[in-house]
Amino acid sequence: MAKRDNGLNLQSSSPITRFFIGAFVLFMGVFILGPLIWLALQAFSTTWTFPNLTPDGWTLIWWRRVFETPSILEAIRNSFIIAPIVILLSALICLPAAYAAARYNYIGRRVFLIGMFAANSFPKLGLFASIATLFYTLNLMGTMVGVIIIQLLGTIIYMTWIPAAAFAAVPKNLEEAARDAGASKFRVFRGITLRMAAPGIFVAMVMSFISAFDEAQGTYLVGAPSLYTMPTEMYALVLNYPVQIAAVFSILMAAPSVFLIGLVRKQIISGQLAEGFQIK
Amino acid sequence: MATTNTVNTKEGFAEIKTAKLSTLGFFMALPPVLVIILFVGVPIFIAFIFSIGYTGGPNRVISIIGQDIYTKNSWWGTADAYLAVFRDPRFMPDFILTMVVTFVSTFVVLLMAMGMGLYQRIQGGKVASILSMLSLVPLFVPVVIAAYAVAQFYNGVGFMRTFMSQFGVEFPIITATQNAIIIGTIWTSLPFAILMITSGLQSVPNALIETAQDAGAGFLRIVRTILVPLAFVPIVIAGTFTAIGIMGSFTVPVFLGPNQPAMLGVEISNFFTAYNRPQQSIVMAFIIFTAASGIAVLYIWANIRSAKQSGRI
Repeated sequence: MAKRDNGLNLQSSSPITRFFIGAFVLFMGVFILGPLIWLALQAFSTTWTFPNLTPDGWTLIWWRRVFETPSILEAIRNSFIIAPIVILLSALICLPAAYAAARYNYIGRRVFLIGMFAANSFPKLGLFASIATLFYTLNLMGTMVGVIIIQLLGTIIYMTWIPAAAFAAVPKNLEEAARDAGASKFRVFRGITLRMAAPGIFVAMVMSFISAFDEAQGTYLVGAPSLYTMPTEMYALVLNYPVQIAAVFSILMAAPSVFLIGLVRKQIISGQLAEGFQIK
Repeated sequence: MATTNTVNTKEGFAEIKTAKLSTLGFFMALPPVLVIILFVGVPIFIAFIFSIGYTGGPNRVISIIGQDIYTKNSWWGTADAYLAVFRDPRFMPDFILTMVVTFVSTFVVLLMAMGMGLYQRIQGGKVASILSMLSLVPLFVPVVIAAYAVAQFYNGVGFMRTFMSQFGVEFPIITATQNAIIIGTIWTSLPFAILMITSGLQSVPNALIETAQDAGAGFLRIVRTILVPLAFVPIVIAGTFTAIGIMGSFTVPVFLGPNQPAMLGVEISNFFTAYNRPQQSIVMAFIIFTAASGIAVLYIWANIRSAKQSGRI
């Protein structure tokens, strides 16, 4: 991957080893890609009779059907309203904290940072049920605010830890040099600190967007039956619509994630992979 | 580039820990902590006292809406809601299914991730990178779609049965069984475990391995005495995070599991909304918390260790 030739080539592999490795690669290919390809094919098929390897015919009609279904359009709209709000809110709440973690020492610093992991160490559905209990009292069940809060919780760690590492990596002497040259504090922050930390912040935003956009379990518990996003609409689609509709909808829903992860793929796989994930 | 960045990061954090205390820093760091206290700490506390029968105050509304609510009958509360859950004949099979799926899936995920991580570390080359690219694909796919795709692949008219029937082989229907949940959770949990473990193994210096090799250590010995101990923390994070995620999962078991028994994540949701028995739902949540607490402690410990190593705390 990043360092392709990092392997040590300890052993020269025998034909038998090579055969097993080849078989394993094939197995992984079918195991991982098989379900996705099989589902994607459904989106373009008229009907599919069981033991045939190919569908009975090819069509694009399901794509039009999807865009003619009001509940689906509503879910798409909700998703694209809620996820950006979550990201902005999360950035507003977490980025100052990330900067503080990288630049200041303060009372409770360690406890604050460790507390973030504690929030992650509860099995999700138990946590969501607990939150829903409180949401009844706060009148947040079935509301957009409730769903935003649920999705926000999943983004906090990304939005704090990844940018914190990015801010800490900006060399202090660079900032000091700019100050000596007469730049104002704000200008140094905007022109140097923020600019150098920008890639890290971007990765954090992408990961947060995907976390919010894909969140289904808590959104369903708190939002349904009055508010559906794309992932929770999928629960209903599977029960009430033909598989082809669900297949088209799946492709639509996966598109933003594929596009965004594609943008930051390099950072995720190479340097920031551990940064970005250990803290999930 | 990545290396210099890490060094800078480490120095950056190291400098901070010895700096004088800042009030501004404290207030900048406060908002996310407040969000976690308000929407994780407080709800869990309130839910816990609800589960032992405190039905007033913040639990008043849900106690009016919900059915079969037990109210406290002694100074500390009541265990009636817990007893009701334990007496429910559905609970034990649900609990056992949850534990079995969690252990089997976590074990297989760790095994596969270790295997692929070690292969890449020791052997490298093209095949290794194809394998790791493949195993990262689920990262791009929302869980709902993953669960649905896996369900379609292994159901009565799915690919596996279609393909095998070409050779006259009757492949079993896996969808709606315990094994389907295991396949689904492995599918969705693999990328995280692989990312963690691969990065852990990659950070072990080549020189160390080569020295051991010169001293005559074999492959297994190098793995056991050098690679695994030095990558121990990321391996623990991968395992604990996977286990916690599976224990509280809903989407994968709902799409892939049988109707009965169901995993506890599914039952929590069913009891909360469909059956309108929120107190029992919360009781199950706390049973899962208790079952996961050991793993959770290990998860937090490993994360603290790793944060210390990278200089963050």
